[in-house]
Amino acid sequence: MTMRRSITIAAAAGLTLTLAACGGGDGGSEPTTDAQETTDSATGGATEGGELTGTLTIWADETRVDLVEDISAEFTAETGVEVEVVQKASADIGTEFITAVPSGEGPDIIVSAHDGLGGWVTNGVVGTVELGDTAEEFSPAALAGVTYDGQVYGVPYAIENIALVRNNELVSETPATWDELVAQATGLGTEYSVLVQQDPAASDPYHLYPLQTSFGAPVFAQSADGSYTSELAMGGEQGVAFAEFLAAQGAAGVLDVNITADVAKEAFLAGESAYMVTGPWNVTEFVDAGLDVSVLPVPTAGGEEAQPFVGVQGFFPNIDSENALLVNEFLVNFIATPDVQTQLFELGGRVPAMTEVAEGLDDPILEGFNEAGATGVPMPAIPEMSAVWEFWGAAEVDIITGNAPAAERWTTMVENVEAAIAAN
Amino acid sequence: MSNRDSAPSGTTRRRGASTDVEPRPNESHARKIGPGFLVKLVLVALVDALGVYGVFAASAVGHWGIVAFLVVALVVVNVVYFSRRMIPAKYLVPGLLFLLVYQLFVMLYTGYVSFTNYGDGHNSTKEDAIEAILLQNDRRVEDSPSLPLVVVRDGDALGFAVIEEDGDVAVGTAEQPLEVVDDAVVEDDTIVEVPGYDVLSFAQVVEVQREITDLRVPLSDDPNEGALRTQNGSVGFISRSFYVYDEAADTMTNTDTGAVYRPNDEGNFVNDEGQELTPGWRVAVGLDNYSAMFTDSRISGSFFQVVAWTFAFAGLSVLTTFGVGLFFAIVFNDPRIRGRKVYRSLLILPYAFPGFLAALVWRGMLNERFGFINEVLLGGASVPWLSDEWLARFSVLFVNTWLGFPYMFLICTGALQSIPGDVIESARMDGAGPLRIFRSMTLPLLLVSTAPLLISTFAFNFNNFTLIYMLTGGGPNFPDAPIPVGATDILISMVYSIAFEGGSRDYGLASAMSIMIFIVVGFISYLGFRRTRTLEEI
Amino acid sequence: MASQAYDQPKLRGKRWWREVGWRHIVGIVAIAYCILPLLYVLSASLNPGGSLTGSNQLFRTVAAGNYTELADTNFGQWALNSLVIATVTALGTVLMGAAAAYAFSRFRFTGRRITLTGLLLVQMFPQVLTFVAIFLLLLSLGEVFPILGLNSRLALIAVYLGGALGVNTFLMYGFFNTVPKELDEAAKIDGASHAQIFFTIILRLVAPILAVVGLLSFITAYGEFVIARVVLQSQDNFTLAVGLYQWASDERNAPWGLFAAAAVLAAIPIIALFLFLQRFIVSGLTSGAVKG
Repeated sequence: MTMRRSITIAAAAGLTLTLAACGGGDGGSEPTTDAQETTDSATGGATEGGELTGTLTIWADETRVDLVEDISAEFTAETGVEVEVVQKASADIGTEFITAVPSGEGPDIIVSAHDGLGGWVTNGVVGTVELGDTAEEFSPAALAGVTYDGQVYGVPYAIENIALVRNNELVSETPATWDELVAQATGLGTEYSVLVQQDPAASDPYHLYPLQTSFGAPVFAQSADGSYTSELAMGGEQGVAFAEFLAAQGAAGVLDVNITADVAKEAFLAGESAYMVTGPWNVTEFVDAGLDVSVLPVPTAGGEEAQPFVGVQGFFPNIDSENALLVNEFLVNFIATPDVQTQLFELGGRVPAMTEVAEGLDDPILEGFNEAGATGVPMPAIPEMSAVWEFWGAAEVDIITGNAPAAERWTTMVENVEAAIAAN
Repeated sequence: MSNRDSAPSGTTRRRGASTDVEPRPNESHARKIGPGFLVKLVLVALVDALGVYGVFAASAVGHWGIVAFLVVALVVVNVVYFSRRMIPAKYLVPGLLFLLVYQLFVMLYTGYVSFTNYGDGHNSTKEDAIEAILLQNDRRVEDSPSLPLVVVRDGDALGFAVIEEDGDVAVGTAEQPLEVVDDAVVEDDTIVEVPGYDVLSFAQVVEVQREITDLRVPLSDDPNEGALRTQNGSVGFISRSFYVYDEAADTMTNTDTGAVYRPNDEGNFVNDEGQELTPGWRVAVGLDNYSAMFTDSRISGSFFQVVAWTFAFAGLSVLTTFGVGLFFAIVFNDPRIRGRKVYRSLLILPYAFPGFLAALVWRGMLNERFGFINEVLLGGASVPWLSDEWLARFSVLFVNTWLGFPYMFLICTGALQSIPGDVIESARMDGAGPLRIFRSMTLPLLLVSTAPLLISTFAFNFNNFTLIYMLTGGGPNFPDAPIPVGATDILISMVYSIAFEGGSRDYGLASAMSIMIFIVVGFISYLGFRRTRTLEEI
Repeated sequence: MASQAYDQPKLRGKRWWREVGWRHIVGIVAIAYCILPLLYVLSASLNPGGSLTGSNQLFRTVAAGNYTELADTNFGQWALNSLVIATVTALGTVLMGAAAAYAFSRFRFTGRRITLTGLLLVQMFPQVLTFVAIFLLLLSLGEVFPILGLNSRLALIAVYLGGALGVNTFLMYGFFNTVPKELDEAAKIDGASHAQIFFTIILRLVAPILAVVGLLSFITAYGEFVIARVVLQSQDNFTLAVGLYQWASDERNAPWGLFAAAAVLAAIPIIALFLFLQRFIVSGLTSGAVKG
């Protein structure tokens, strides 16, 4: 076992250094001499013949483009392989990938959250990655995110989920259930009790999901290995109980579809609420604004564990890349290494996907998110998921606003989603 | 371009829509070389040079469609500009060429897509689908070792040479299973020489990297034992695919269950039990997409409501934008107003703003609880601007008026200028009041020049996807509809949600629907043009 | 008609209100209607870290932070791209559209009516769904003429020029018809060629409509993002609309302040252009020409 591993690493080091040598790297780093000899003797005139002029193209959305550019610059410095990072809008990046790959215009690598993976697999645009033993170094949740139907398609670097954020200046103890939380927060006399971002047209099933799962009504049933089936599981008694809960919260004014993302953020920043259910993307801003905040798991509303969706951020290869070796070099021997994972964490400020790096965390905020996400479930990556969001959100709007009777509306929604899935 | 060229055009015009037969001038072209001719010569020469380059470049990459188009275009351009006839064509050709390539072709292509099943799951060619199925189901054999490997070549065939766990060196190619060789040279755990093969340098490996990552060297003749593959050209591992593709029979076989999958008419491999493998590939499906529009019960449910609203929205949008635009144009057409320029400049401001941004801002301002309209202008009222069915429709029209009236304002301001002042003046002399002048002179004259634009505006709003999508998203949704469709959805936004948001994107269906929408709106517009007599007049 | 007005004595009192004054009232109401949402954006642009919809207190804080921050973004490059693309598109549209309108207005030829009708109808194809076809078209073209392929600003201009003959041609066609044909007949008798008539006589007479069409196509190209998003792929080539759309779609970081500042600056060229062209649009060249 150890033997095999050392071979892998030696071979990998050899490749890296060959790349470095070819690209005109200065060879100043420490293991050069040893490995250099190996590769030179092994490949004969390899370095003489080979001007390595490969260029990798990576697509990243606006939230990740800076991070990817920084890390790619490092890769270029190490190997001499040029990397061109192309920014895409987060709303379109996944679908553009599907369009572009068959035309030969796709990037070599796409950086994205994992929830588009099912669609990419169904369309045959994403390539596989053989992580070997490195796979064990990632947290199970992270690995699950880049795995689809038993096959690994990418290298994860961070995981992300929502949690309950508390303004410590307003309150310092947090009860264990949602109802107690609301009672406590209402007693504080702030403008809002708990902020959960909504949208007047689409509610926000993502931000409400921890509450929903606490009623035992997950969106899809999971099979034994934890992967999602396309069987809808949010109907039934539990689902109806959650719908009734939504209606009650809406009537009490705790949930309000008019509290959009930016309203909620501004209100929390202004100290108008002690609690907000949100993700790390907002908390950075809260801290910058000088708020003293703690990050806690979302309390249960229905008695069971509140499970937020966990999103896995990863690097995924194009199935059709002209630079398959370079892509593999980048993914397996660069991104999937503890050093680079640590840098990605420092640049991106998200919970690292590699266990070793995550254990070294000493940031209480990220630890909080990590803890809240420990009970989380991967965001479904199956293509059916996209059929669900719109029905789901529209139904939640009607229920929260009291426009439709809760149980009935929820049941209709479940039927509609089932019909939509069947029609595809 | 000589002076004689144009001489007969006046007479041809009088002959109505006949061909432009001209009497031939006696002098030949070449004898009258003016500066205009030189300019033309240079321009056409440039176009020719580009075109000829294009013909060669396109032949080189085998784009015969482009070659054919370029040849025809070159001939047309040269004939048109060096002939002394075809004067109208000289003025039309540049614009028409662009139109042909960037609009007509795009329409035809969309028409073509509407007869295929292009969309999620049928995204590419059959070869790509086969490759994807094989790769997706190709897994590393559990607990199989990582083996040091080099890439070798025997003539054209690429292969791998690998140091096995017991230290033996084995070599093989895609055709020839791994076989142990005795006299390979190994230095420092790396193979340097294999008799009968060339060992590739890393640079050479990089050159053929696609082939190498695709290469599978079988362990033995039995495919179930797996094959050696590599991802980096230096380490190999054993992997096994659950599926084998038989090229001769065109079938996929699952090596675990033995089930045989055959291609069907819908572009999928399917077994006897009807199970499909994904991905599939693009195939022509005839009229399936068109018939789906009429047979899919999910679409027909809210269809008529959506159609009615689409017409109402497009029609009312024309009325409100034109009405408001014209009103302002007339109001500020009086030279006695001080600061007229300022008024006019501020009035086009809404038009100067990116439309999608404006829709987003309005959405925020119309928010029931926090919106500026309710909270500030209406003193804390809670009017459900966007969540009540009828108010939402009103809001959409209101915002669209805001977005669209500056266009009409500009057009009307320009058009008002073209109405001869003396005509109005003489009417005034005859004692006609301003209203009367407006009704019987200004408006009819304006309508003559703007009618086609009004119809175009109608067509534009008929398909005004951005506004609906950004402002209401089609909502408020009908709670009972089996598809996410709402009170402010117009046809195009309904198409969008069916074809793209219903779980999988279906370009075929979307294209078929846009063709249908085009036919509908085109037909209505055609009737409109006829009715406004624009076609008769031209 | 314009000149007479200035000769009249100044209006006073009731008459002034009846004929002119009320127009100012209308003007003020109209301006309030027009600029309220824009004030909102302006307010957001001056509020560092602020949101677009979260605050109804206009100008609660006023700071130029968002504007200075724009310097660190690609805003400058995008603005330049937008200006170049929109300008070239506008010029091309005016030239090709005017040429076509001249042909339709002054010549009678076979297929004239069907071409005119066709032009109008082609524009009615729903654009939202054509991106697949445009993508694939540019992909193929790019292999032959790399400069006309994907991610090229010139290719985007070419796509926009595909719509040069359309509604705008009609607008101009109507206007060309108001120019008396006696003018070209006279010029023809004097020995002018059709090209001379077009370039030296007609184009000058129809300057107002050229200005309107130029402005309209400039604005359209400047604000278009559905096609631009498909064609332009790298940050350096983005237009403002694509860049801003990308900022707007960033739901999590939602750089609304930055976005609003950029939108405010982006509107300036349009206003400047309008001010510049207003003279042409409004000066009533046609009537003067008829008399002269």
